[in-house]
Amino acid sequence: MKNTLLAGAILTFAAAAQAELKPEQLGKVLTLPEKYPPHWIIVHDATFFHMLDGRQYVIDADAETLPEQVKGMFNSSFIATVNQSSVRPEMYVAETYYTRGSRGTRTDVLTIYDKRTLEPVDEVILPNNNRYSGMPNQYAHTLIDNERLVLIFNLNPATSLSVVDLEERKYLGEIPIPGCSLAFPTGERGFTSICAGGDMYSVQLNADGTMASSARTESFNDIDNNPLFEKPAIVGSTAYFPTFLGDMVEVDLSGPAAKVGERWSLRQGDDDGWRPGGMTYAISDAEGQLYVLAHPAGYDGSHKDPGVEVWLYDPATRKRTARHPLKTPGLSIALTRDAEAPLMIVTNIEMGLDVYDAKSGKYLRTVTGFGQETPFVVHGAR
Amino acid sequence: MNWLIKQLDRMTESKTRTVAQSTGRRSFMGRLAMTLTGVSALPLLPVARAQQQPGETGDPNSCDYWRYCAIDGFLCGCCGGSMNTCPPGTEMSPMTWLGTCQNPADGKNYIISYNDCCGKTSCGACLCNRNEADRPVYRPQAANDINWCIGTKHLTYNCSTAIVVGTALEQ
Repeated sequence: MKNTLLAGAILTFAAAAQAELKPEQLGKVLTLPEKYPPHWIIVHDATFFHMLDGRQYVIDADAETLPEQVKGMFNSSFIATVNQSSVRPEMYVAETYYTRGSRGTRTDVLTIYDKRTLEPVDEVILPNNNRYSGMPNQYAHTLIDNERLVLIFNLNPATSLSVVDLEERKYLGEIPIPGCSLAFPTGERGFTSICAGGDMYSVQLNADGTMASSARTESFNDIDNNPLFEKPAIVGSTAYFPTFLGDMVEVDLSGPAAKVGERWSLRQGDDDGWRPGGMTYAISDAEGQLYVLAHPAGYDGSHKDPGVEVWLYDPATRKRTARHPLKTPGLSIALTRDAEAPLMIVTNIEMGLDVYDAKSGKYLRTVTGFGQETPFVVHGAR
Repeated sequence: MNWLIKQLDRMTESKTRTVAQSTGRRSFMGRLAMTLTGVSALPLLPVARAQQQPGETGDPNSCDYWRYCAIDGFLCGCCGGSMNTCPPGTEMSPMTWLGTCQNPADGKNYIISYNDCCGKTSCGACLCNRNEADRPVYRPQAANDINWCIGTKHLTYNCSTAIVVGTALEQ
């Protein structure tokens, strides 16, 4: 008996010795690939209840479990605006800080993040401290000139665009856009803004960021009765602006000045009363198909209501090609940027991210619980 | 946020349902706002600091109150102020967006100035989003997407008021 116990104790000790944990290396920090996989997304959490603590999450929308989905995050203070480069491994955040957190001296800054490390690697001060502060808008932060220049929308309430040279990391100055807002890339090195007079204002820049030429369209936007939404889907150099009541207005941005094109109806068939709406409601995929978030029984003030379907259009025929009913109503829609099997990401009304096969509309999974609060806008990673 | 919304939904289901019948019932922000408003309004009922005029009815700390037809933000009445005053330690923005809302008590349309209270971070209570006649940011004076803490010492946004500044002209 004694021998048996002794033998058992020796065996147990031997097994324990075999399984002993080895000391691990301290200080290891992971990095990400320079080129993100096609189904990764950047989630802009504006943290509406804690605006100074905005975040950008890097998420793998293909993965099934939370630890596999979350790749990292970086910060974006005070309902920032963001963009990504496709020619440099960088992401850009236009944000605002105060020296004492919520008070003190204000600094507006364009912060440049490395996509591999998610660390801020450089910054350019925006000296006039007049950056637009408001609900996230992808056209408040626009890359032009093959991504050499970035335009940051200012509103105080006079409107202008700050011009920053991203290669030289240099603030070049401001272009006033009186009575107009936002910036849609236009021509070789320019932009178009949408204006309170119902017109659009186009500017071409010199290489040094100064104004070379400008032009205005006729007034065509009936802002009182059926205004254009301000966030178009852009395919090539054509911008597609939905209107509150359900039209689509094409604007050609290929030349130095915007040219207003065709207007056609998003409603086709038995869908009276349906309207586009939400927070991000019009996007396009790598093949140039248009996706529009829509809700039924529209009324005055429903233009920010969540959509319950996403409608797909072929811009060549201007016909609807599919209707994707959503599992849960959505506030914003986004697409990954691959042509083969793009994913559609919907910020649902419970502030989770529903992932769908974009072409078939099949629901795949929900990404949630990653620390998000109000992930208002999602971007397909470049 | 998900669990929070569900929790609050359970707590305020009946109030939410009531509000939903008369406001932007499909709006997410409206929905979130209503749940939060419901919770926050419970200890404040019937009327806390709100300075209502004699010709008004309704609960000024509820998102369906008539003055809030184009508001987007935290109701100052739930933040230490009232519908027409800012909470202590904040600063009222001199610039703002305007709405035109109909007072159900007299049937008249009034111009409502939604001045933000600034200098502290988000109040976080009674979020309310309704968008009657709201317009995109390119018509700023009618755009509730903009943080209107402009012309104040700080950009930090705390809550929004809804101040009667006049009657609207007949169309």
